[in-house]
Amino acid sequence: MSAEGQRGAAPGVGALYLHVPFCARKCAYCDFASWATPTGDPLMGSYSRALEAQLDEVAGMGLLEGCETAYVGGGTPTLLGADRLGSLVERVARLAAPSELTCEANPDSLTDDVLDAARAAGATRLSVGVQSLDDGELAELGRLHDAACARERVRAAVASGLDVSVDLMCATPGQTDASWASTLAGALSLGVGHVSVYPLQIEEGTALGELWRHEDPAWNDGDVQASRMKQAQAVLEGSGLVRYEVASYAAAGRQCRHNIAYWTGVTYLGLGTGASSMLNLKQYLRLSQACPSLPEPPSSAARVRLTVETTRAEVAADPRIAALSFSTEFLSHREAVAEDLMLAMRMTSGVGPGLLARARETVPAGRLEAAVGEAVATGLAAWSGGRLVPTECGWLLGNELYGLMWDLAADDA
Amino acid sequence: MSTNDTSHIRNFSIVAHIDHGKSTISDRILELTHTVEERDMEAQLLDTMDIERERGITIKSNAVRVMYDADDGQTYQFNLIDTPGHVDFTYEVSRSLAACEGAVLVVDATQGVEAQTVSNANLAMNANLDIVPAINKIDLPSAHPDEVKEEIEEDLAIPADDAVCVSGKTGEGIHDLLEAIVFLVSPPRGSYDAPLKALILDSYFDEYRGVVATVRVFDGHVAKGDQLLMMQGGTDFLVDGVGVRRPAEQPVDELGVGEVGYVVTGLKDPEAVRVGDTLTYRDRPCDEVLPGYREAKPMVYTGLFPVDNKDYENLRDALEKLRVNDPSLTWTPETSVALGFGFRVGFLGLLHMEVVKERLEREFGLSLIATSPSVDYHVYQTDGQMVCVRSPQDLPDVTRIERIEEPFLKAKVIVPPEFTGAVMQLAIEHRGITQDMVYLSEKSVEMHFDIPLAELILDFFDQLKSRTKGYASLDYDFSDYRPSDLVKLDILLSGDEVDALSFIVHRDKAYALARGLCDKLKEIIPRQQFEVPIQGAIGNKIIARSTVKAVRKDVLAKCYGGDISRKRKLLEKQKEGKKRMKQIGSVEVPQEAFLAVLKVDDQ
Repeated sequence: MSAEGQRGAAPGVGALYLHVPFCARKCAYCDFASWATPTGDPLMGSYSRALEAQLDEVAGMGLLEGCETAYVGGGTPTLLGADRLGSLVERVARLAAPSELTCEANPDSLTDDVLDAARAAGATRLSVGVQSLDDGELAELGRLHDAACARERVRAAVASGLDVSVDLMCATPGQTDASWASTLAGALSLGVGHVSVYPLQIEEGTALGELWRHEDPAWNDGDVQASRMKQAQAVLEGSGLVRYEVASYAAAGRQCRHNIAYWTGVTYLGLGTGASSMLNLKQYLRLSQACPSLPEPPSSAARVRLTVETTRAEVAADPRIAALSFSTEFLSHREAVAEDLMLAMRMTSGVGPGLLARARETVPAGRLEAAVGEAVATGLAAWSGGRLVPTECGWLLGNELYGLMWDLAADDA
Repeated sequence: MSTNDTSHIRNFSIVAHIDHGKSTISDRILELTHTVEERDMEAQLLDTMDIERERGITIKSNAVRVMYDADDGQTYQFNLIDTPGHVDFTYEVSRSLAACEGAVLVVDATQGVEAQTVSNANLAMNANLDIVPAINKIDLPSAHPDEVKEEIEEDLAIPADDAVCVSGKTGEGIHDLLEAIVFLVSPPRGSYDAPLKALILDSYFDEYRGVVATVRVFDGHVAKGDQLLMMQGGTDFLVDGVGVRRPAEQPVDELGVGEVGYVVTGLKDPEAVRVGDTLTYRDRPCDEVLPGYREAKPMVYTGLFPVDNKDYENLRDALEKLRVNDPSLTWTPETSVALGFGFRVGFLGLLHMEVVKERLEREFGLSLIATSPSVDYHVYQTDGQMVCVRSPQDLPDVTRIERIEEPFLKAKVIVPPEFTGAVMQLAIEHRGITQDMVYLSEKSVEMHFDIPLAELILDFFDQLKSRTKGYASLDYDFSDYRPSDLVKLDILLSGDEVDALSFIVHRDKAYALARGLCDKLKEIIPRQQFEVPIQGAIGNKIIARSTVKAVRKDVLAKCYGGDISRKRKLLEKQKEGKKRMKQIGSVEVPQEAFLAVLKVDDQ
């Protein structure tokens, strides 16, 4: 088949992600691809212009045809400032025309100008890293904003007409059941239609990881995490939000469709330092034509994961897709199914008949039945209207449940 | 050397207290005699096993030939036989010494004569060896060689005027030491034409060549094609080759009288070659067998079980292969409800056990569980019979026991006077009975205790070292069996007794140990999806308990595009971790739980 033929036959990715690896300061818990960057660092401008150039190039390859959602994340995209962020968002809206376009934001850099620019450029949704509405906790986390700033900026965002989500973090230093309750209630009072809640994870290589290298702090204990997550569920659901994923709650019609794409096997393209893509084979081959350093896929490959390994400065210096270096991971049909099963168990909707049918085609019958049987027998999952859905216990003990599903990727002793 | 002339041969061992620098001196000798070029020198060349080099201890004997051009213009053949230093491996020392005419006795110039200096010197003198005292580490500022000379004369009754001062580190004095060996160690005696009489010092199994035996020829000579007989084992074989180690194996035409080298037997059955046996010509045997060694007796027994039951046969094969060069290793099959099929293996001590377990895992790729160590108990039953019990599971029902006797040791601790109180306290905590104390000098006291072996094998040695800041040294000998009030402590997980966790203990210590074990197991056993009660019991009586709480949350909540691969890798790692655990009932128990008794903190 010719390249032209492929281009005609396959649509582009379903979702687009752009990574902005700049922050005003590195938070104590953060292990993402992001670096503290002084205001006025010319790298921010050259990097975002490079992303725009890359967008032009992938659009030219047809990879953005049919793209449904886009997400400009970080790092702190709002740190780019009104002009640069507006320009980047405008390029996304023009080239990909997604029906949902989210920008990640931190309260301290979400100025009115930035807000207006993003909205005017075509953003539909804003995800604000609030984390807590307790000043002491925010300071412990190394956040630059205080609670008053967060409240005021989120209100402004809601007032602008954008669809606003806030991120909140539990099991953090200094947090109590009472302070968590007040953070949850405070966030709801701001009128947001979406809340994500995460227990803090102490990761290697972060400031907290250094501090707690040899012991596990009581404030991050598994029991504390579990009770805070349950507390969040009670408060958020009590106010009318609905949990649709282990860490995500939304009002009717306000779910983040971009994140749902990640959990349901939709293909996505990630641009920028550290960004990940998940492509089908045709999309991968198309990208390979622009980027000859990409390896030949093995014959068994059905799905490809790529991560941009090129540094920020390198991206800025040479924006061509051909200049990028990627790490790649090829998944077989069976691995792709196991991965979809694993991710589906994060969702309230669980595994539906379609995915089950795919699983029956690729996973030996005995293995699939045994894994499902074990998940049900141990109370991690249950059948509900023809779908296998996670239980409360399955959500809390997610690794057990996801492990059962991912084990289906291969036969072993 | 087809001749009776052995005047240029010197066979000697180097003996020392642990850490006194025996291996570094060996290395310097190899260097100075150009056996190994300096650039090829790896520290501690003679310690060939990974474990030996990592731990800095010698476990196996090793014989190396070096050629020394002496000041008298002659070239001498030195056969250097390295010996182990740890108290667990004393028997290897005696075996090595039987192949020598001389011994270099190394004494640390800063520490002086220590417990094993004395015991090794005694072994060497009992073997009628010519002794060359060497005072090592003279490069250290705290060296006091003159006082050490006095100690050697006073404590060991060895003339120390000729003692050579050396530094294994800098190489100073090594030349003088080699000259002293030429002059002080007698050449071997024996007849080249007499029927072969050779002692098997050591052996190992080579997949291609079969068993390769290290031998010392006392009479006669041996070459490829000779038909030989093992006098005690009765097996005969055709010699496939002979050679010497320099330290790499180097084939030679023959091994003559007085020489040390290796014989390729071609035998595929490791059991056929027993260390200590005498080799002779099949058709012209010598008239008597060489005196055997003091047989090494196991002191400690532990269960060894493969984590994966499919490895049972592999474990047996591996043990058999190790036994070829470690004849002290003994085992019998053992079955555990919790762990399946395995072996109850006898060891010389806990270090020996650790070394064997590590070798089995590394060299044979096995994953093993070791259970709590036990000694050999004599259980007198009400029916008048006595049974030997080496495993808590074999203990008869309490109603059938009249009394239990346990082995006691005579322990000898040499320590500076300021630590005698601490040592006495330690002995009391371990049910030791102090017999007497003798001042060897102003700076060292020799203390004698009677102490149950079961107490000594656990953490006594480590505790002794830590409470005396490393100054104390320990030596022990079997004394006798004495009645003790012993009970079987059982451990229950989720209400079910786990046989592999049972332990025989003195009644007075059972409560503290049960509490300690329950607490330690609580730390070791990971939280599971349900609560796991841990109980310690004597018979039906629960005497201690703890609980592993159920895990309530185990999830990385955040999982977006870039996290998915990472998430999968985390799940795979989690699965690998589970593979290393043993499923007992519904509880996943890590391997180290079965040795938890060794980790219980001493309150």
